[in-house]
Amino acid sequence: MSQPSVTLEELPLVDAQAAAEGGEAKVTGSAWKLAAYVFLENRLAVVGLGVVVFMFLFCFVGPLIYHTDQINTDILQLTLAPSATHPLGTDNVGYDVLGRLMVGGQTSLEIGIVAALLATTFGVLWGAIAGFIGGWLDQVMMRIVDSLLAIPTLFLLLVLAAIFVTSLPMLIFIVALVAWLVPARLIRGETLSLRTREFVDAVRVMGGSDARIVLRHIIPNTIGTIMVNATFQVADAILLIAALSFLGLGVPPPATNWGGMLSDGVSYTFAGYWWLIYPAGLFIVVTVVAFNLIGDAMRDAFEVRLQRR
Amino acid sequence: MTGFLVRRLGQSVIVVVGVTIVTFVLTRLLPGGVARAVLGPRASPVSIAEFDHANGLDLPGWQQYLFYLNQVVHGNLGFSYQLNESVTGLLSDHLPKTIILLGAATLLTLVIAVPLGVMQAVRRNKLDDYFLTTLSFALYSMPIFWLGLILIIVFSADLNVLPPEGPQGDISTYLNPDQFLSLVLPVVTLALVEIALFSRYMRSSMLDNLVLDYVRTARAKGVSTAGVLYGHVLRNALIPIVTLLGLSLPGIISGALIAEAIFNYPGMGLLFWDSAQKRDYPVLLGVTLVVAVATVVGNLLADIGYAVVDPRVRVTE
Repeated sequence: MSQPSVTLEELPLVDAQAAAEGGEAKVTGSAWKLAAYVFLENRLAVVGLGVVVFMFLFCFVGPLIYHTDQINTDILQLTLAPSATHPLGTDNVGYDVLGRLMVGGQTSLEIGIVAALLATTFGVLWGAIAGFIGGWLDQVMMRIVDSLLAIPTLFLLLVLAAIFVTSLPMLIFIVALVAWLVPARLIRGETLSLRTREFVDAVRVMGGSDARIVLRHIIPNTIGTIMVNATFQVADAILLIAALSFLGLGVPPPATNWGGMLSDGVSYTFAGYWWLIYPAGLFIVVTVVAFNLIGDAMRDAFEVRLQRR
Repeated sequence: MTGFLVRRLGQSVIVVVGVTIVTFVLTRLLPGGVARAVLGPRASPVSIAEFDHANGLDLPGWQQYLFYLNQVVHGNLGFSYQLNESVTGLLSDHLPKTIILLGAATLLTLVIAVPLGVMQAVRRNKLDDYFLTTLSFALYSMPIFWLGLILIIVFSADLNVLPPEGPQGDISTYLNPDQFLSLVLPVVTLALVEIALFSRYMRSSMLDNLVLDYVRTARAKGVSTAGVLYGHVLRNALIPIVTLLGLSLPGIISGALIAEAIFNYPGMGLLFWDSAQKRDYPVLLGVTLVVAVATVVGNLLADIGYAVVDPRVRVTE
């Protein structure tokens, strides 16, 4: 374990720099406590980042090293207990569970990230436009958000999954469709305060169009909120996809994801086939927690105060 | 207070109207049109025409919405052709069971999370506080479907002390010993996640209040530690919990859907899930509307409750 990089002498009890600049000399707390806090905080973020990197390597590089057949079922090798040939056993159609975790993880991570990107992009544009233009347009746009937010997420997601035939791209689309609401609300809030700032007037005086103000000035100023929220969105999307697959409305076979694997394992709860339930669930939890840790650390780093969900 | 109530009520009405527009638009998105989605791919043109007329689908778009709204206002949420029963009838069977599940889970949550949060705040930064903090973080990160499965493995498969399935009988039989036992796992699964969330809030809410001036004043007047804690701090710390109850409502309703699916608990969530798998659209959209309205009303009640217990809200509004 390395020593904290800040020592007692370097950490004054009052914020001297701010005081020198005519700002408020805030008491920053006991130096050791602060150092411990910074240290702990960084460590958690590093752990989170490490887990995410591991998950990516495991899911995308893993199959290159650990070869398994994840396309053809093998009815002679059903629900085998973990052994030397199958470290985590086989599932109900004979797929190797460790290899399945890699393939399933690819889908979970891909959907999570693409859906989060889509949702964030759309939500940010929606929120920025509503907040910047204001007036009745803002009212209408935000009431749409309110109405969709009033429907509990899983219910909305299941309705959409039932209406639109599920393929992988469609699944990403419907997850994004329920996920864009929170960023829209957050960015609208920030835009409301940003649009009254001097630099917006300056752009306008120089002849910049509204589109230019929103795209080049307001949205870049909310980048902290955007990145923090996007990180949380990835975690949420992975969970939503897992829940949806668990409920049997996820990706069509032979593709799978961690939630789908869990769903396949449910029938064997009483048979004692723990390898069909614990690994997949653990991977979901660990990945989601890792993304949340990164998000928390980033929120502190960007010093953005926002409410999750 | 009246102004606050009127404004808050107005917002809720707008959102409810918005929700009806959402469910209306969703019905228009059904593959092959509403009639074909409901009556099936082999419906004859005559029956489709009859269906369209009965449901106002032969009207212009905006009149279709008014027709739909009129139906909804009169309690007609649609008809499930697959179950051959009206959605309202189905809901009157299933909704009370979900309310019992949610109510029991919420009650259990409050009974456990509030004392837990108080204890953690009093013993802050001690070993047991760290332990409980870690535990609640782990529980809160756990997807409810996995938590439910683990509980089934431990308490039903391994220890064989609790049934893995929710009560299947009528609500009036819920207090029979075997039915009551089968209620335990679904309720606990739902409550555990909520306990993790609520105890966190309770802990920080207590800590926020412990440093305030009135605590010092009370101590200076000679009030005992327990007196300050339970007579003053706890009462004030409970205020944000009222809001949290409202805010956590959509989450807990989604959680109930999964809990009902895992434990085969015949509530609204299970009905909804079955309908999603069978593509029984009238039920899906009817339940969606009911759930959304319930959420809006729940939030409204929480806000009003907040204004009642905390006079400052009324003054600043």
